[in-house]
Amino acid sequence: MTPTVMIVDDALFMRKIMRGILEENGYQVVAEAASGIETMRRLHDHAPDIIILDIILPDANGLDLLKSIFSVSPLSKVAICSSIGQEPIIQKALDLGAKAFILKPFTPEKVVTTLASLEG
Amino acid sequence: MNMSQYRDLFVSESRSHLEAFNGLIVRFEKNNTPNIVHELFRHAHSLKGMAATMQFDRIAELAHKLEDLLSKVRDGEISPTQSLIDILLAGSDLLDSMITVIETGKDDPLPGANDLISQITGFCSDSHAVPEPEKDVAPSEPPLRQYQSRQSDSFKTVRVKTETLDRMVNITGELITTHHHLSDQLRALPGTGMNEPLALLSSQLRELRDEVFLARMLPFSVVAERLPRLVRDLSRNLEKEVTLSINGGEIELDRGILEGITEPLMHILRNAVDHGMEPPHIRMAAGKARSGLITLTLARDKDHVTIVVSDDGRGMDPALLVAKAVDKGLINAGQAAVMSPREAFMLICNPGFSTAETVSDISGRGVGMDAVKNAVRSLGGSLSIESGIGRGSSFHMKLPLTVSIIQALLVECGALTIAFSVNAVDRTLELTHNDIFEEDGQQYCTLDGNTLPLGNLHHILGQPLPASVRNHIPVIVCRIFGRAVGLIADSIMGQREIFVKPLGKPLSHLKHTTGGAIMGNGSIVFIMDVNTFTALP
Repeated sequence: MTPTVMIVDDALFMRKIMRGILEENGYQVVAEAASGIETMRRLHDHAPDIIILDIILPDANGLDLLKSIFSVSPLSKVAICSSIGQEPIIQKALDLGAKAFILKPFTPEKVVTTLASLEG
Repeated sequence: MNMSQYRDLFVSESRSHLEAFNGLIVRFEKNNTPNIVHELFRHAHSLKGMAATMQFDRIAELAHKLEDLLSKVRDGEISPTQSLIDILLAGSDLLDSMITVIETGKDDPLPGANDLISQITGFCSDSHAVPEPEKDVAPSEPPLRQYQSRQSDSFKTVRVKTETLDRMVNITGELITTHHHLSDQLRALPGTGMNEPLALLSSQLRELRDEVFLARMLPFSVVAERLPRLVRDLSRNLEKEVTLSINGGEIELDRGILEGITEPLMHILRNAVDHGMEPPHIRMAAGKARSGLITLTLARDKDHVTIVVSDDGRGMDPALLVAKAVDKGLINAGQAAVMSPREAFMLICNPGFSTAETVSDISGRGVGMDAVKNAVRSLGGSLSIESGIGRGSSFHMKLPLTVSIIQALLVECGALTIAFSVNAVDRTLELTHNDIFEEDGQQYCTLDGNTLPLGNLHHILGQPLPASVRNHIPVIVCRIFGRAVGLIADSIMGQREIFVKPLGKPLSHLKHTTGGAIMGNGSIVFIMDVNTFTALP
């Protein structure tokens, strides 16, 4: 079955690029969100297999959002996607339940290999 | 991957970030708050990520330098000076020029770019050494803003009248009602094969609703911008020293809610400065800081927002409030004897109840707390008050994120179908007769080890009691002024999304209702306002 994905990033531009990469590689993007509020609202309607989550959002910190995300959609796998790539941040994300970290700027290959590692 | 297809989007979105960035710098110049710095940082950060993805390295580098600079401001390593404002504005202008180069495709080396990047780097590494210009020295020319033609951009966003947005919500609400109607009709006809298209329609309607609501959302900061000035001017007039701190200004609310909450918030702030806050000499005599602090905090929880206004002023004495209410004939001695502090604080929301020793020009007598309570309630929200003598007071408002379309619990009581906003309901219970006990004519049950007072919706709504003894008694647990109360109904029909319409006269005079909604079968349900159930135990 085609894995479903939700993209969370406050920049429409980043969401469109990510959507382009994902759709070219056989993923189904079921939702996009630009803020923490929107993420939680969309999450109630879709339970995506994968969530690609930015850290700096207008109303929330992506890492702080993880707990709420898992409480609504416990089976979703989260890949953090951010240009903040310091080791402690990555470790914190993994400790909070994220499964992968995609550093911005990303290449399509990086996105695809990261998401492939989440499957199975 | 062909990135050129994203160039136009990059240009238009970068421009939006820059416009916001410029607006924030102007605000920052007047009022240096952590929120503004954080927002400035976020825009620079987004721009950096976008430019790096497009491999526009110089834009990414400049945005990165600005981001660094702002993180140092945020961490208190760089103080907000005029030089900082100038360099942020120059950085923004240069980014704008760089984006124009991308947009027009013209090769422009932008000779000042390297100088500015080094200047920002220098500012970051040695900020405190950057001197403020001497007052007697003529200020240097501000960098010339380059006004570029943005014709290609001007078609990407449109201004929409708020009435148009209101109509869109209205139509979406009607569509949801029609959908319920259709579903109800088709459910009665099995084997129509309509389940799948109906489910699809339902999900498309949800998406439409979300998009329409998103278009109406505005950050609280739109309202918040004017509040610090209000507090400053009031406190000066009253020779008090008060600071207002606002947290959560970025949280978005429906414009209808924002519009409706502005005046009540200003009332509460006026009261806090006028009545709550002590003059500096009294504060100091009480061992407090000379300057008072009012905090306004927004937080989002599920599909509602809480707004809390707290002050560290003199607070209120519940015993005094109760005595005054008895004196004014608002309550009798029996009611006064059993009144909790929380209920006592709510007495100030009675029309004409004044806590001030003298009538003041600023807040007047009665101070309009009744108007505040009514305004919050008409938005589908609730108000509660906490206070401690000498410690200050806090006003808690719980508001829905959006108006008009709400998740409601439908309940039957006698001949009526009524709805409770799910925000107002803690949980539902099903009791047997054995679970209910009575003391002094009041019914109770036990819930999680506590005693829960029960009220009967039949009595409240003037409906006849069920004729036969029931095996299972449905109960809706609500919070009425912060206290859990169980409401006995005939049956609980389940949860449904409903489109709330204001009731026209004469129905608007009905007690206990905040609005009505039309069901799929054309019947009307009334939406209950639990905070009017004051006759309850």
